[in-house]
This record gives sequence, structure tokens and C-alpha cells, in this order.
Amino acid sequence: MSDPDLALFIGRFHPLLVHIPIGFIVLLAVLEVLARTRRFRNANVNAGLIMALAVSGSVFSVICGLLLAQDSSYDENLLGWHKWTAVAMTAICMVAALLHRLELYIPYRWTLSLGLVMLLIASHFGGSLTHGRDYLVEHAPGPIRNLLGGIDEKTSSPATLAAGYSGLQVYSAVVHPILDRHCVGCHGPEKSKGGLRLESHSALLKGSKSGPVFTPGNATDSVLVKLMLLPIEDENHMPPDGKPQPSADDLALLAWWIDAGAPDEVTVGNLQPPTAIIRILESRFGTAPAPASAPSPKALSEILPTGQQLAAELSIAITQLSETDPWLQANASVAGPGFGDAELARLAPLAANLRWLDLSGTSVTDAALLQVAAMQNLERLYLQRTAITDAGLKSILPLADLYYLNLYGTAVTDEGLIALHSLPKLKQVYLWQTQVSPDGARRFADLRTDTAQLKRWQEEIDALQAKLRNQKIVIETGAPTSTPPAAKSAGPINTLCPITNKPIDPTKTLQYEGHLVAFCCNDCKTTFEKNPEPHLPRLHLSSTNSPAITP
Amino acid sequence: MDPLKEFWRQQTRRAFFRNTGLAAGRIALGSLLIPGLLRAVGKTSMPPPRAHPSLPGLPHFAPKARRLIYLFMNGAPSQIDLWDHKPRLGDLFDTDLPDSIRQGQRLTTMTSGQKRFPIAPSIYKFAPHGKCGTLVSQLLPHTAQVVDDLSVIRTVYTEAINHDPAATYILTGNQVPGKPSIGSWISYGLGSEAENLPAFVVMTPRWSAKRDAQALYQRLWGSGFLPSRHQGVALRALGDPVLFLNNPSGVDSAARRSMLDGVAKLNEAAFKRSGDPEIQTRIAQYEMAFRMQTSIPDLTDISNEPESVRALYGPEVTQPGTFAASALLARRLVERGVRVVQILHREWDHHGDLPRDLPLQCRDVDQACKGLILDLKQRGMLDDTLVVWGGEFGRTVYCQGELRRDNYGRDHHPRCYTMWMAGGGVRGGLVYGETDDFSYNIIRDPVHIRDLNATILQLMGIDHKRLTYSFQGLDQRLTGTEESHVVKGILA
Repeated sequence: MSDPDLALFIGRFHPLLVHIPIGFIVLLAVLEVLARTRRFRNANVNAGLIMALAVSGSVFSVICGLLLAQDSSYDENLLGWHKWTAVAMTAICMVAALLHRLELYIPYRWTLSLGLVMLLIASHFGGSLTHGRDYLVEHAPGPIRNLLGGIDEKTSSPATLAAGYSGLQVYSAVVHPILDRHCVGCHGPEKSKGGLRLESHSALLKGSKSGPVFTPGNATDSVLVKLMLLPIEDENHMPPDGKPQPSADDLALLAWWIDAGAPDEVTVGNLQPPTAIIRILESRFGTAPAPASAPSPKALSEILPTGQQLAAELSIAITQLSETDPWLQANASVAGPGFGDAELARLAPLAANLRWLDLSGTSVTDAALLQVAAMQNLERLYLQRTAITDAGLKSILPLADLYYLNLYGTAVTDEGLIALHSLPKLKQVYLWQTQVSPDGARRFADLRTDTAQLKRWQEEIDALQAKLRNQKIVIETGAPTSTPPAAKSAGPINTLCPITNKPIDPTKTLQYEGHLVAFCCNDCKTTFEKNPEPHLPRLHLSSTNSPAITP
Repeated sequence: MDPLKEFWRQQTRRAFFRNTGLAAGRIALGSLLIPGLLRAVGKTSMPPPRAHPSLPGLPHFAPKARRLIYLFMNGAPSQIDLWDHKPRLGDLFDTDLPDSIRQGQRLTTMTSGQKRFPIAPSIYKFAPHGKCGTLVSQLLPHTAQVVDDLSVIRTVYTEAINHDPAATYILTGNQVPGKPSIGSWISYGLGSEAENLPAFVVMTPRWSAKRDAQALYQRLWGSGFLPSRHQGVALRALGDPVLFLNNPSGVDSAARRSMLDGVAKLNEAAFKRSGDPEIQTRIAQYEMAFRMQTSIPDLTDISNEPESVRALYGPEVTQPGTFAASALLARRLVERGVRVVQILHREWDHHGDLPRDLPLQCRDVDQACKGLILDLKQRGMLDDTLVVWGGEFGRTVYCQGELRRDNYGRDHHPRCYTMWMAGGGVRGGLVYGETDDFSYNIIRDPVHIRDLNATILQLMGIDHKRLTYSFQGLDQRLTGTEESHVVKGILA
């Protein structure tokens, strides 16, 4: 049983309460229309009362609805639309009630009509939330479906469409949504009937009270699929009669995944689906080919709560890397040797989002590096002071973005290092206190250096320098015959008076050995004229940028 | 009267509807505006929160440095004798500082009464070092060896002219006491990674120049108006690093554990009743103190450090309470997930007898600074650890007191002084900024201490303008309300 939760308990009265204001508002609208006819002209005498009931009903429904919305199992986008249209509808009805009270009947009718429209929109979103997006138009004639279905296409996640289906994670993107929509309501964290929970891959593997619910590799023998395939009248059929039923496509996808061994972290492309499955996937996710082999990260808002939960459970630190990107940084070194391979395996849900991973000083082993290899977006990997060896290091070769690798204090040897040379972006490797020899490090550096490219660049530099040399013009005018006149026009050579060290007055100057020297006052000028020698050092220093005077 | 009966008596129908109605409305409105509010309160199955989680939305940018080691030279080292070489002063021995340079600069009362301000050239030799050729004084022969890793900023300046306000200014962003220190801000923003050590640790090693030194005050690492768990935890230089951490005699670890479990149960009951998150903080703090009973002895036991590592920091590294020992501990702390380590080394305030005291002070820190840089480097940690070195202001080019060829003193000088930064995100082998021939005024690229703090935060992944805390009607921040800029020129 789940924990008592007062908020959710009250919240679940929302589907009940919500029909009260709907009824009142529709009734009121009908009465107002009828009142325009002669025969029923008194139909709206109780409009004020009905309005009041409608408004209070709306307010209570909205409160319950907000409490219910805390249950995170709803589509957030759809939920947002439902929430805000419903709030808007309530507000409009309040305005209508006020206008009615003020006996402003014409604006009242307009506002009421607007409220009715808003009610229809809000109700439609609400219906879509409980029954699924395509419930209303699923069996509608083609043109109507296109008309209404167009809206749904736009609201579905654009990231999924752009990525195409072959890069999608089979479990998280294909299988999980089916189970989430049809099963997790009763077999999940809120309710777990029969001890079965289907909200995560690990829970799925655990099965129910009476054992595993499926056999990886054999869908037809799996209870999970069998029960769904029973005729709907059968009392063991799942989901129970009256609940939304999975489509035949859903079942086909589920069976395909179980037949393939029910893996967790694997992309559609890797499983090589048969044509029938490809057709279904194309209809769901579009035909665009996957852009890259690296799994695309989930949105930060989606992944961060999972990360924080894991951080708390494992006593490690997991935070976002920045505001703008979906990346995470995880530091397991703070948990020390208490963090091992089993704990690392629990980070699998974060795999596509992890950018930095610090495992230094933990008890991870070579086996753990297989897990690390799935974190294909890693940039920085800290493995110092762990028990990893050459054998394990080979697993991290798929890390195409890795540029920082810390291996100090491990048993890595020349051989293990050389194997890493194919990591395309690797820029920094730390090898203090390892078995790597200076010679091995040098060979690695040579392997990593594109000597041909360096040679090309050197040639380019030489060519450019030759061009520079060619640009030089040689002009020879012979040695100067007299004092260059430039010195005069350059102004005084000093900014401070050589006698008093005060700022100069530019008008009190005299020529001394071809330089214009300035003074603070005429007295100083006279002193200097009489005997310049003692003041020359100071002049030397306080001169700005002219050559020094040598007496 | 029975309080419960009293409560029921006062609970009229109107009061009930008024209170519950408003409360329900508030919950609904709150959940509408802050999604997830009820989720957090409503579900009791959540694991206990971490001791110091980071603020939501932080870091703002991908950090260049995950950790900060701040080597604070309290008292203000003389930039003219260490980093800012002024060869042309040699000829000006005992001449008066030109008024055009001083420009009516406010002086401390220690020299404002002096009749003249004679220039005291540094008696120490400078030489270029490293590939970059940065000029370093003969007093810092070891630091000179790692100068290719340093960004030497020669143009830091401040407004304060006395130690107390100046140190408070650079470390808390304001001359007036009461603001949180830079370490507290970082702890508040980024949280702690380690569960068994605080996010911000302070050390105050002893010094060699046997003189009275300027006092240190806890506010230099205090949390100001931020929650007190963000203040720096000062490790003592001698004896137990943390007082009252060890169990008193007669209490063994099991007894302590069962006592803590009992207290935690009571606290949890109190939390269920009131939902006050401070109670959970308290539980977490007790747990951290318990874990520190083992983590602190493990931290301070350096017997497993290889001889080659100890040698880097110099011979004093084995003596607890020295700067060298603190520097090694700083590395061990950041290695264990501590965010900010601050070492405050005292007695750099050389008003007189500078040639007697400055070399002693330099010997305290010089080799350990090099050791720290090299040790971090060989472990691949210099790449994401920021090291900052410097004091609260500079010292004057003119002599305080009697000027002799071989002895002089220098007064406080706020208009320019030298600090260096190294590691995470900082360009090595760089000299930033230029001062005039007297090391008195800045000619090019001034760096206010606010700019410096903004830069430190930036490197840690924090936008200094957006890490704020509402207090006294103002969104307070480390860099205050005045304009400040990240020093882009030193970024790698």
C-alpha cells in the first residue's frame, strides 16, 4: 500500500467535482438562450443562483485539481494547458457573475459565452489527460481527425521527432511510455497491485509477488504479454475492462523488446528491428535517420530530480554542469571505497547526461568501466587511485568526447595507455604513480601527434614568414648630417621639474643638448641654466619616452 | 484551563472557515506558482536531504574550477619587494615622492605626520623566471620555479587603507562587517560535495617573524546573514584540529552512536510535527560531526604521503601548524571534496625593519606555494582547482620611519598591489596590468578587489550578479551594488 497522502486523497475528488460546474454552466447557457424565446422568457430567473453555484463548484474543482496535479504521472505539457485554461474559465465565470450582479446583462452574456468556450477547451484538455490524447478522434472520420489531430502533433515532443527513431533508447523511449500509460497507474510507485511495479527497468525485472512477469528472449511465454492478449471478457485480462487498452502496435512493440532480451540501455538501431516493427516505429517517431550514435541527453528538468535522488541515496554529489545545457557532473569520490561497481550501475539512468564523472578513490573495478562506456557524452573522467587496469581501460574507447582522463595511482601500464590513442578528443592524461614508463608516455604522445599536419602547418608558417620578408622595403638615406629636427617638435622630454619634482609648466622650457627641457617655474629654469649637472639624474628618470641624456 | 479545551472554545465556525479556506487557497495558489511544492511536503518517503545541497540553478556555467584554495597573506605583503619590480627607483634613493604621483592620496595616521616621503627602492634582486620570463624577487626562489603556472596580477586595488576594513573588504566584499565571506557564498551557492567534511575549511598557521601580528577575526570566514552552516570551519593549528570532536573519556563510539540515534529520533518526530527544514539541517550536522570523528584524524595523518610529496612542500611540512603543513592539508581537503580552503598567514605588515621580517615571512610560504602547485599538478588537480595568493592591500614606495641603505619600512598602500592566481581556468605565465615607475598608481588594466571576487566566482561557475540573498531589503551579493567585471584577460 502507498503512504497516506492527504493532498492526493482530496485531489482525486477532482474528476467527480469537475462535472458539477460543467453542468451548471452548460445549463445556464441553455437557459439564457431559451430566455430569448417568448415561451421560455422566464427561464433565466434563477441565473444568479446557478452562476453562484457554478463559480463555487469551479473554485473547489480547481483546488482539487491543483492537488491532484502534484501526482507526477501526467503529461506536463497537457497538464499545463488544462490547468491554465481551467483557471481562466473560473476567472471568466467570476467576472460573469459580477456583471450579472451589477445587472449589466449584455456584457454578462458575452462573458458567459466566452466562459463556455473556455470550458470546452479546458474540458478537452482534461479529457485528453485521463483518456489519452487521441481518445476523442481515434475513431472519427479522416477529415475530422486531421483537423483535430493536427494540434496533438505539434504538442508532442519535438526532440523525439528530430532525433528519428534509430537513436532512441528502446526501453526509455519506446517501451516505458506504453507501460507508463496503461500499467503504472496500478503497478507503480502509487499503487503496486500484486506487488508488481512497472515504472522502471529494474522494477520490471523484479516482477510481482509470484515471480518474474516475463522471460527475456521469449515474449509468448511471458505473463506480461499473455495477460494482455487474453480476451477482454476474461477476468484476468490486463489492463482491466473499462481502462484504456493498449493498441495492437503497443503489444507488438512490447513483444519485440522482450524477444530481444528486454535490454535497458540499447538504441533501436542496435536491436535491428524487423520491418513490421520499423513501420510502427516510423509511424510513431518519424522517419528521420538518427544524427549521431551518442544517445541524446534528456532535458535537465527531467533528469535532475533523478540525479538528486540517486545522490542522496548513494551519498555522492550530482549537480547540473550549467544552466543552459542538459549535462550533469557526478562526484563519487566523496563516498570513498563505499562506492563500487554496484553503486555505479545505479547511475545508468543518467548515462546520456553525465559529462563529468569523478570516481577517484572509489572501489570501482574494470567491470565498472563497461558501465562508463555507456556514458557516451563524458568529457572528464577521474579514475585515479582505483583498482582499474589495462584490461578495463579498453572499454572506454567509445567515449568520443573524452578530453580529460586521470589515471594516476592506478596499475595502468604502457600497453593500456597506447590502447587509448584512438580516443579522438583526448587532450589531458595524468599518469603519475602508474606503471607507465617515460618511453611509453613518449610513444603515446607521438601516436597522438599528427606529424604530417604539424609539418604542413610549419610549411605554412614558413611560407607566411617569407611573404612578410618580401613585404619589407629597404630605404637608405645615409647617416644624418645634423641634429634631427624631430626632437624639437616632440615637446619637452620631462613631465616633472628636474629641480623640484613638481609638474612642469610647458611654457617654461629651454634647449639642453638638443632636448627640450621643461620646468615648473622660471627660478628653476635659471638654476638649471647655471649648473645643470646635479639635476641630470632626475631628468633622466622623469623623462617620458625620449632617449636618455648622457652628459 | 486546559489549553486544548481553550483552543476548541475559540475555534468558532467562522474562524474555522476563515482559516481553512484561506489556507487551502494559499496551498492551491502556492502549488500553482511553485510546482512541486506539495510534492516535497506531501511525501514522507523522500530520503533525507544532503547536508548542503547546491542551490537550484547553480552552477550558472560549466565551472573551470571545482575547488578554491585561497592563500591569504594577512597584513599586506610588499609588492615592490616581491613582484612589482621598479629598477629605476635605484637612482632615486632618499628623494621625495613627487606630488604628481601621490596626488593627495589619503595616508594612514602612521605616516600622515611625516615631513617627507623619501623613496625606498627595494634592496632585493629580481630575475626573469620560467619560459614566460616573469620577474620575481630573490625572496621567492621556489614560487619563481612555478611562475609559468601563475597569472600575476600587478594592478589589484582597493579603497580601504587599514587592515581590518581592508581584509573584511576583500574577503567579504564590504568594509563594514556583517557580510558573508567569499567561501560562505561559494558554499551557499554550490553546496558541499563531501558528507563527512564541511564545505569551507579555514586554517591559520603560525608565522616566523617573531612580532605581534594583525589580529584575525572570525568574520573573515563568517557566514554573515547566510545560514550559519555556510561559515568556514577553522581547524586549529595545534592540538586537536577541531575542539570537542573526540568523545570524552568514558564514552565510546557505540554509546555516542546510540545517543545520536536517540536524538535523531526525537528530531525527526519534531520535524514530522512542524516540518521545519532547519531540524533536518540539525540532524545532518550531528551526523557530520560524528563522521568527522573519523574523517578528521584520517585527514591530518600524513604518514602515508610519499617522501617525494612531502619534500615538495619543504622541511616544515611535518610540523603541524606551519604554513607548509597547512598547504599539504589544503590539498588533502580539496581531494576529499571540500569546496573552499582558506589559509590565513599572518604578520606581513612591515612598517619598519622590512628587510628583517619579510624574508622570514617569505620563507614560511615560498616553498609550500610551489609544493602545492606541483602536487596539484601531478595529480591532475591543478586543472580544476583555483589557487589564489595575496593580501588585503599593498605597501608604499616611500619609507615609513628612518630610511637607510639597508633598512626601511613601508606604510599601507591601497592603490595597487600584486596578487597571483593559478589553476582552474586561469592562464599561466601571465603578467596582467602595469603600474607606474613608483608602483604607486595603475597605468593599465586596473583590477578592483570586487573584479577579483567576480572572477573567482566566475571560475567556480557562478555569475556574481545572480548569486544573491535577500537581506535588509536588498538582494545582497558578494560584489555589492557597485559595478564590477570579470577580469577576462587572465582567463585561459
